[in-house]
Amino acid sequence: MSAAAAALRPAAMSVLRGAAALLVVAALWEGLVIATGVKPYYLPRLSVILQSIAQVPDAYIAGFLRTASETLLGFSVGAVVGVFNGVVFSQSRRLREVIFPLFVISQTIPVIAFGAVVVLWFGNTILAKAVIAFYLTFFPVTVNTLNGIESVDPRQVDLLRSFGASRFKLMRQLLLPAALPQIFVALRLACTLSLLGAIAGEWFGDTVGLGVLLLQAMYNEQVVALWAAILVAGLLGTTFYGLVALAEKKFVFWKAEQT
Amino acid sequence: MTIRRLLTLLACTATLAVAQLTPAAAADAKAQVKASLRLKWLPQTQFAGFYYALEKGYYKQEGIDLTINPGGPNLLTENLVATGADTFGLSGGSDSVMAAIDKGMPIVSVGVAHQITPFVFVTRKDGPVKTLKDFEGKKVTTWFTGANYVLFGMLGNEGIDRAKVDIQPQQVSVTPFVNGDIDVVTATWYNELNTIKGRMKADDLKYFVAEDYGITFPRDTLIVSRDTAAKQPQLVEGFLRASIRGWRDAMANPKEAVDIVMKTSPTLDRAHQEAMLTEAYRLMTSGKAKTEGLFTIDPVALQKAEEFLLKNNVLTKKVDVSVAFDDRFLKAIPMQDRLP
Repeated sequence: MSAAAAALRPAAMSVLRGAAALLVVAALWEGLVIATGVKPYYLPRLSVILQSIAQVPDAYIAGFLRTASETLLGFSVGAVVGVFNGVVFSQSRRLREVIFPLFVISQTIPVIAFGAVVVLWFGNTILAKAVIAFYLTFFPVTVNTLNGIESVDPRQVDLLRSFGASRFKLMRQLLLPAALPQIFVALRLACTLSLLGAIAGEWFGDTVGLGVLLLQAMYNEQVVALWAAILVAGLLGTTFYGLVALAEKKFVFWKAEQT
Repeated sequence: MTIRRLLTLLACTATLAVAQLTPAAAADAKAQVKASLRLKWLPQTQFAGFYYALEKGYYKQEGIDLTINPGGPNLLTENLVATGADTFGLSGGSDSVMAAIDKGMPIVSVGVAHQITPFVFVTRKDGPVKTLKDFEGKKVTTWFTGANYVLFGMLGNEGIDRAKVDIQPQQVSVTPFVNGDIDVVTATWYNELNTIKGRMKADDLKYFVAEDYGITFPRDTLIVSRDTAAKQPQLVEGFLRASIRGWRDAMANPKEAVDIVMKTSPTLDRAHQEAMLTEAYRLMTSGKAKTEGLFTIDPVALQKAEEFLLKNNVLTKKVDVSVAFDDRFLKAIPMQDRLP
């Protein structure tokens, strides 16, 4: 067996295990609904839900893509701004004392209260949703970046300084890499939060998106369509989370060795 | 020589043709004014006429580049129009328009879609509620976004103390009523009533209709900001003309109208939407609209609504109905173009 194949094997196995678990859940869902005779109003059969998606696939594909782009846009900007904030705060105590409390206050306001205002400002644009996704994303990334940087062993910092490392070099070569595992914890958290933000943003009068499909199904009492939207949203969330976890594995390759 | 003559002829023709075409094309391009219509709810055939007019280019022909923005549970159309975020709005109804004006919002209604009360109160035929008086001590759910006033008005006109009725806010679903957990549920003729009929036998239902108890709340009001009404009367008039044309043609081609709405929201239930269109149009063509045309403003019904809202402290002061509801834009359109 080659080394590459050996490296691939665990990943392939975990995908297979995931697929097997999904199939079991699907079979259980279908079987239990039929066996117990639950009214379709409370829980429709999985096959019925999948059929309803297959009937108007375009609507779900368009919704998936739209919500995915809003999420990704908000997430990316939130991640970059979050890391930047963390770095700046770790360097300037004063800035941190002035700005950080404002961030905390901003985060205590429920995002739903902001939604209507954001729509007034940005209209029914993709930007409006990205802004809400951003709003939910940047804060956890800021906090975790800062924590990660501050938990670096000061002796390591001193050592590099004694060799004449500049502030920039210190950040690039020691502090940020050391904070990376912490940052990724925040990113995994942020990918669910940004999806939540995008969907909530779509509840303020948009026409395309998974949030729109959810809202329409909910208020029209179309239970099957509601579950269909939930499933597609779940698919988006899981895919996104998986990609972030994959990136983590690639960039924080030493984490697996440590534990 | 012949070639030269031919060329000259061609050049002349071309110049003439360009001269003929240019003004028309230029007028077409410059006349388009960007505007938006904010609906009171999610896309459905309750708004079919507007979607129909948009799809068929009726707004374009009036020089309006219109965007239709859906409403939703978290949006207040009056706010969005008052702040200028949206040009036009199809808002809650006579109650929400007057309440907004009472709060000082600079809006004016230029047309009323639903001429009669769109709400109906539904109970089981074999249940304990036989008359309005029987509402006392029973569980009644209603929406506190306008339907509650209709209920209060009906009870008041019959001399029933509403404190004795167990009135609770109604949630999204009609399931509690279908399951028998509540006695009376509020429904709109065009939406929830269809849902209820889909899950119970229509023969098992009994209705309490507002008009039978002397109450009429015209709803689904078209609004613009006072600024738009003053500065762009042509825009308002054009919008009304295209919308009325959209509604009339949608009702002439109901299947196509449902198709157009479902293009916006493909997951909607077709049968439900078809039934909704019929009922919504019935509400639009009831009362004065039969003789005065679609979107007509009935000052008598509105005056009664105003007095009722004032008495029930929804309004803090008198609202001048003739100012709040301005029918000069409608009046500018010939009657035969407005009749249903």
